[in-house]
Amino acid sequence: MVGLSLGETHFIQGGIAQDLRCDGRKRLTYRPISVETGVIPQTNGSARVRMGATDVIASVKAELGKPSLLQPDKGKVSIYIDCSSTAEPAFEGRGGDELAAELSNALQHCLLGGKSGEGAGIDLSSLIVVEGKICWDLYIDGLVVSSDGNLLDALGAAIKAALSNTGIPRVEVAAGTSNDEHPEVDVSDEEFLQFDTSRVPVIVTLTKVGRHYIVDATSEEESQMSSGVSISVNRQGHICGITKRGGVGLDPSIILDMISVAKHVSEQLINKLDSEIASAEADEES
Amino acid sequence: MAGKGGSTPATYSPSPTTDKKKPSLFNEDLARPDGRSFHQCRPAFFRTGAVNAASGSAYAEVGNTKVIVSVFGPRESKKAMMYSDIGRLNCNVSFTTFATPIRGQGSDHKEYSSMLHKALEGAIILETFPKTTVDVFALVLESSGSDLPVVISCASLALADAGIMMYDLVASVSVSCFNKNLVIDPVLEEENGQDGSLMITCMPSRYEITQLTVTGEWSTPKINEGMQLCLDACAKLAKIMRSCLKEAVSDSQE
Repeated sequence: MVGLSLGETHFIQGGIAQDLRCDGRKRLTYRPISVETGVIPQTNGSARVRMGATDVIASVKAELGKPSLLQPDKGKVSIYIDCSSTAEPAFEGRGGDELAAELSNALQHCLLGGKSGEGAGIDLSSLIVVEGKICWDLYIDGLVVSSDGNLLDALGAAIKAALSNTGIPRVEVAAGTSNDEHPEVDVSDEEFLQFDTSRVPVIVTLTKVGRHYIVDATSEEESQMSSGVSISVNRQGHICGITKRGGVGLDPSIILDMISVAKHVSEQLINKLDSEIASAEADEES
Repeated sequence: MAGKGGSTPATYSPSPTTDKKKPSLFNEDLARPDGRSFHQCRPAFFRTGAVNAASGSAYAEVGNTKVIVSVFGPRESKKAMMYSDIGRLNCNVSFTTFATPIRGQGSDHKEYSSMLHKALEGAIILETFPKTTVDVFALVLESSGSDLPVVISCASLALADAGIMMYDLVASVSVSCFNKNLVIDPVLEEENGQDGSLMITCMPSRYEITQLTVTGEWSTPKINEGMQLCLDACAKLAKIMRSCLKEAVSDSQE
């Protein structure tokens, strides 16, 4: 988008200072969120999330692979983000690569927990088929279809919905195989296991404009930000990841204040999102 | 120079650290793999002027982690880039093939470049060199845990050596979380088994945080504790960095 004029800049900042944004929202209010699940039948799980004019699709594909050496008792999850040039002309060619890498890195920080597997949104041990030999690899792909700010929150919500929609085929391991050989597995076509996604966190991005912070910034508001913090909070109120964005430094007390504001906002967001996901799943089944 | 440590085992279990009780500050024998207490950093060594061809450069050793950073510029931006009222900052972080215990493993850290960029751009006064570009190239010679914080600290020294105007030096430290224990400046074994991590980059004189990254599951009091630990360590690290710059100045005057 073209840069804003000085008058527009003052208007946006003045509005935020008075708790009245260009689209009439207050500082801590989200745009309308709609969720669809099962939008791509070929995947194990998929979801589409719209947040105002921001539109993203997330899909989950499960493949059998080999566990990593460091955690032989846990499956593997990877997150990839594609910034399509249909979303914004600036994403043409390799233009979107930097933003895509940044988003996927932030999402991995927020959703996949520490290197020991603790704190991950889903139980990685449930992805093991044969310890040390066979596990499920989850590939989570996010696609940005339309971009109007706050991509990280939308992608986080879409991934949560996609994981909730995911069905993993049940795997039977052939009995009697000796420990040395590669085990033979029988993948079921009819039985599917579902994830418990109650611990998958949501991401709340607080954008600092002037002396206030706002949630769910539009593109125009993001262009006015001095800095921002994306905080991932789960239903238990624990912080699952923090990524600071924007270049300007922040006082530590402001960051701690942002964390408490994010926890407060995330309660409503989690409830709203869970009800949207539940109704989307119900719609899909009917 | 610090001696080379023992080789890192390919599969490391964090349970020995987790099972141990928190030792007293002065009892180092019962503590971490390299004998430090939980809240003790590794010794840090910095030197500027490590590369002749660069506008500014710095070399850093923190424990066995060794990093070299070169800064080029401000110099003319490439024609493809659009006009910019403020300066541009390009950052690139790479690993040598021999940096990691297993050869060639360092190429997995593609996000380090953008994280370094975010950490530095808040500290550099970009308005002082409009239309031009400053390039920061960081090379990790040996990776032994807490690589990115060392890269960030070393890069700010290299920028100072190049004469780029900055609000303050940038110091960076990280902590790892094991169950309920916080371990500062983790080594590679600790990093591979951590439940969560917290990395802070700050400008100590201004008491501002320019980069904050948290992974894993944390409660808010724990984040408070981790942040305070890191900020204290950053202040001490900044003193070491300042003394390094002063030494370089006094050496050149002799």
